[in-house]
Amino acid sequence: MGYIVAIPLLPAIAFAMLAPMSNRVRNKSLWISVAAVLVALVLSLVAFVQVWPGGHEGEAVYHASVVFASISTVNLGAGVLLDPISAVMLVVVTLVGACVQVYSIGYMHRDARIGWYYAVLSLFTAAMLVLVLSDNFLQLYMAWEVMGLCSYLLIGFWHEQVAPRKASLKAFLTTRVGDVGFALGLAVMYVTAGSFDFSVVLHGFQWAPAVATTVSLLLLFGAMGKSAQVPLHVWLPDAMAGPTPASALIHAATMVAAGVFLVARALPIFEASGVALTVTMLVGVVTALVGGMLAAVQHDIKKVLAYSTISQLGYMFVALGAGGIVAGFYHLVTHAFFKSLLFLGAGVIIHAAHTQDMREMGGLAKKMPVTTVTFTIGSLALAGIFPFSGFWSKDEILTVLWHGEHYVVFALALAAAFVTAVYVARLWFRVFTGPEQSELKEAHVEMLVPMGVLAAISAVIGFGSPYFAQFLGHEGEWPAAPIALTSTAVAGLGLALGWWAYGRRTKVLNTRPLKERAGFVYGALTMKLYFDITYDFFIVRGYGLLADALAVFDTVVVDGVVNGAGALWRAGAQAGALIDRYVIDGAVNGTATLVRAAGAKVRRIQVGRIQAYQGLMVGAIVLLMLWFVVKGA
Amino acid sequence: MTVFQPVGALSFMALSVVLFSLGLYGALSRKSTVMVLMSLELMANAVNINLVALSRFSAPAEMTGQFFAVFSMVVSAAEIGLGLALVLALYRQRRTVEIDAMQELKG
Amino acid sequence: MLLSAIIFLPLVGAIVTALVPKDRGDLARWIAAGVTTIDLALVVFLALKFDVAQGMQFAEKVAWVPQFGISYNLGVDGISITMLFLSALLSVIAVVASWKMETKPTAYFAMLLLLEVGMNGVFVALDFVLFYVFWELVLVPMYFLIGTWGGPRKEYASIKFFLYTLFGSVFMLVGIIALYLQAGTFDITAMSGLGLPATFQWWVFAAFFLGFAVKVPVFPLHTWLPDAHVEAPTAASVLLAGIMLKMGTYGFIRIALPILPHAANQWAPFITALAAISIVYGAALAFAQKDLKKLVAYSSVSHMGFVMLGIASGTAEGLNGAIAVMFSHGVVTGMLFLIVGMVYERTHTRMIQDVSGLSHQVPVAGGLLAFASFASLGLPGLSGFVGEFLTLLGAWKSSVPAAWVVIAAIGVLLAAAYTLSMVQRVVLGTPSEAVSKITDLTRREVALLVPLVVLTLTVGLYWNSLLRFTDPVVTRIVAMLAGA
Repeated sequence: MGYIVAIPLLPAIAFAMLAPMSNRVRNKSLWISVAAVLVALVLSLVAFVQVWPGGHEGEAVYHASVVFASISTVNLGAGVLLDPISAVMLVVVTLVGACVQVYSIGYMHRDARIGWYYAVLSLFTAAMLVLVLSDNFLQLYMAWEVMGLCSYLLIGFWHEQVAPRKASLKAFLTTRVGDVGFALGLAVMYVTAGSFDFSVVLHGFQWAPAVATTVSLLLLFGAMGKSAQVPLHVWLPDAMAGPTPASALIHAATMVAAGVFLVARALPIFEASGVALTVTMLVGVVTALVGGMLAAVQHDIKKVLAYSTISQLGYMFVALGAGGIVAGFYHLVTHAFFKSLLFLGAGVIIHAAHTQDMREMGGLAKKMPVTTVTFTIGSLALAGIFPFSGFWSKDEILTVLWHGEHYVVFALALAAAFVTAVYVARLWFRVFTGPEQSELKEAHVEMLVPMGVLAAISAVIGFGSPYFAQFLGHEGEWPAAPIALTSTAVAGLGLALGWWAYGRRTKVLNTRPLKERAGFVYGALTMKLYFDITYDFFIVRGYGLLADALAVFDTVVVDGVVNGAGALWRAGAQAGALIDRYVIDGAVNGTATLVRAAGAKVRRIQVGRIQAYQGLMVGAIVLLMLWFVVKGA
Repeated sequence: MTVFQPVGALSFMALSVVLFSLGLYGALSRKSTVMVLMSLELMANAVNINLVALSRFSAPAEMTGQFFAVFSMVVSAAEIGLGLALVLALYRQRRTVEIDAMQELKG
Repeated sequence: MLLSAIIFLPLVGAIVTALVPKDRGDLARWIAAGVTTIDLALVVFLALKFDVAQGMQFAEKVAWVPQFGISYNLGVDGISITMLFLSALLSVIAVVASWKMETKPTAYFAMLLLLEVGMNGVFVALDFVLFYVFWELVLVPMYFLIGTWGGPRKEYASIKFFLYTLFGSVFMLVGIIALYLQAGTFDITAMSGLGLPATFQWWVFAAFFLGFAVKVPVFPLHTWLPDAHVEAPTAASVLLAGIMLKMGTYGFIRIALPILPHAANQWAPFITALAAISIVYGAALAFAQKDLKKLVAYSSVSHMGFVMLGIASGTAEGLNGAIAVMFSHGVVTGMLFLIVGMVYERTHTRMIQDVSGLSHQVPVAGGLLAFASFASLGLPGLSGFVGEFLTLLGAWKSSVPAAWVVIAAIGVLLAAAYTLSMVQRVVLGTPSEAVSKITDLTRREVALLVPLVVLTLTVGLYWNSLLRFTDPVVTRIVAMLAGA
């Protein structure tokens, strides 16, 4: 089964081929990327079939690894692990990836950098596939970060504008806050268990509760960054500045679900801790509610979907926190399909309406039938209406909560489901009903086909619910009537309320209903519950001020000490120079002056006329002779 | 009384003294470098006379003085050649051979 | 003889270059390029012959001043060879990067070659006196490179650099002499694991610490670095950041840890604290900078903090990580300085506010700058991550207070903050006035950067390409530390 290795390798090779090309050549070589992902899709389906009928997680169907780092006695490996969970993820990632890439041919065809866009999509696909096939946490982390890079590049794809540029930075940094936790969690894991391998960390090692809590909370923090959980959710709505198909793939279907995947993988550690599970559940339920409420006041169609994604990811965390790995994971799968469908639909809508603002849209149902049908399927799936996929997975989550006797969380989750239905209705009625506001035209076929595929999956996949559980090695059950009916009723009520507030009237609506009835709540919600403004003020600006202050400190104090020492030394040296000049040099110069003065007197003899010297010489000789004569006598 | 008394050593020495004094005077007083050189030659020859005379009267067999005198004459011939050459060089440079014009070594 | 050849070939080159007539700059640079390339080839040949399982290899030992036990003693192990390779490679790149040097080219290239002599020598010397000679030899050409070919404040920067590092090395000399008096030899390998008295070790370590810490540099001894970097010509910046900073940390690993293991354990908490402060402080200062070169300079302070963190951990992970950061920082910061220099040559400004939209106007330069930035902030798959991650693992594994490790980990986030806000302003966006007319990198410039890109990817993807050299040595050092 060595072909498994080829699944992540193909998109990686596509990236390696596309990246060094010149822009012109790259724009014409999109087929490399598309071909790679399509082949990867086929291979993934083959792998899925081979794993069928599934089994317990950890029972690998295929496992291979190579050592890429050896430190003393520890070998760190890069591996490929095919088990039921990764088989499912392979199909999800390659399927959504293939749909998005085909769709993008139409959506992005006028862009001058489409080749680069495809290159990054390929890199992203490769990284995500490496992540889901990881057999250890380190490799998972590395792929995780590479996905962060791709997310950064795609959010800032139109970097000539200010908003995408800022959003990409914000996304990278916010997720990196989580990644610091993740990295520390890895460090604790490595020091405690001596390995990153799933086989050791998840199955072989006996975790003490305290350490397990530390590790799992740190991992959870990483997952919260990537999966945009409160309070690290602020980057995801801004990330909508990127191209819509990229949002569909990365910021709806796959990358943001990586946090859920991480928690699902690491669930044995969370279970060993216990506390961490509760924390996960609380984070999830808060996120589900906050995300849903914020989605209900957005005017930008993509931001509605973004907050909706946050909310749904919260749902998955709730499920995992309640120990429902199947439910959480199943919701991940269904959400990946229907949310990417919604994003692709939103892309078509944005192209048709030339705006992202829902207040300027309306009446699409009449002119764009395919989009309307597929988008409606996605909406109903999101709202959790039978028989669309969202209903099944949401029902499973509620069942898990009920059986786990988490009644408060159960109620809050129902509330979140209600809010979800409200904003779905708000979105749908605003966009598809009412008067047309512009020339509308149905999209090209290469955009509609992927949407059709995803819509079909979203429509029918729910009936596979019990088999899915069996595939993952758990008991599979059909939904029980009481909970199913409750959740359907709640969702129906939500849709009704949405219709009542936004769908009754025929003219274009603004946000009056909520604004008039609950001004304070509305105000808080339009301010995004003050998260962004708080971070901006305290963290971003605070750090900027701190950095500037430290820069001054560095120049004035730290360097000042050095320069001060230098100045002091120079002052000392100057004092020394004075002593040198007047005392020590004084003595030397004094001698010299004396000699010079004497010389000045004596030099008069040296008149320069040779005959004078001769005369002197003769005179001297005469004197000498006289001396001898006198002495001799 | 012999009219022509044999000439004694003293006579030669007297001649030598006269010649030397003439030379010395010339060397000290002449303005022209050439004249100074000629005076120097006088003084040298006064010494030569002395050498020959004293040798003749003290140890005539060995002829040391004569040899020395010949040697001295050769040296002074070379010396005068060099001296005149210097004077010529000086003249070319300065257009004068006045000895008082050469006072660069004044202290 | 191979090691001697590697050291002294550039010296011969330097002498020949210096004798070239002053107006024949072209000849000088060809000689310099040839000599450095041959030297690199020799180092590669050495690395191919190198047996990772063995300790010191290619040893050369000749008595030099036998009265004092001083010898001409050379040898390489896995750590030295890594650094030697980096030194030889960056020397070639420094020469080629200065291809258009117009001012006194013969003297300039002679200085570069002389610098290589000192750098190569430091990494292979096994005798303290020899080590010290090479250590000091490095200062002189660097002083002239900054002082003669530097920017507007070159005098201040070069003198500050010279005095600061000389100040440190004087303490090192005291330490060397103390060790000689105690052990009766100048042989570095013979001195390791001697089990010197604890108090004595503590004081000697203090002396070495001052000597090495200035070079690294560790907060608060770092202020010479930004000035030197900003004023130095591009090639000198590359070598300064790429090699000379590593001499300090190399000194810790080669000398301080094996010879003074007991003191190293005692000093570890203090060094960890300084390292963590350096990481965060350097990152915060880099964030505040408006000059690209200063930003890279302060980022060096931050990255070298990771090296110190790994060294202080005294674990196999930490030490391997420290060497990995050293290697990666040499490559990546070299790249950053080269690109900043290339951009500066075209725009004549290094102010971040004046440069924007590189990727739009000059996609190759912009793309490579972005690549180097991501390598610098520690993106997995590129070399920067290897060391940062391993040092964090090692620090966590060691007994130093966990709070410092958390602070260091936050440095990873801050690194992303300063790097990406730079990328956002410089690489992305629409071209600014200064950028709007410039041309993209030439083939020569791209050829300079490609080897560094390849190295970054190789080490980042296959860690053992580096660790296979360092790990055996590190394991021995860790055993010594554990035994002390």
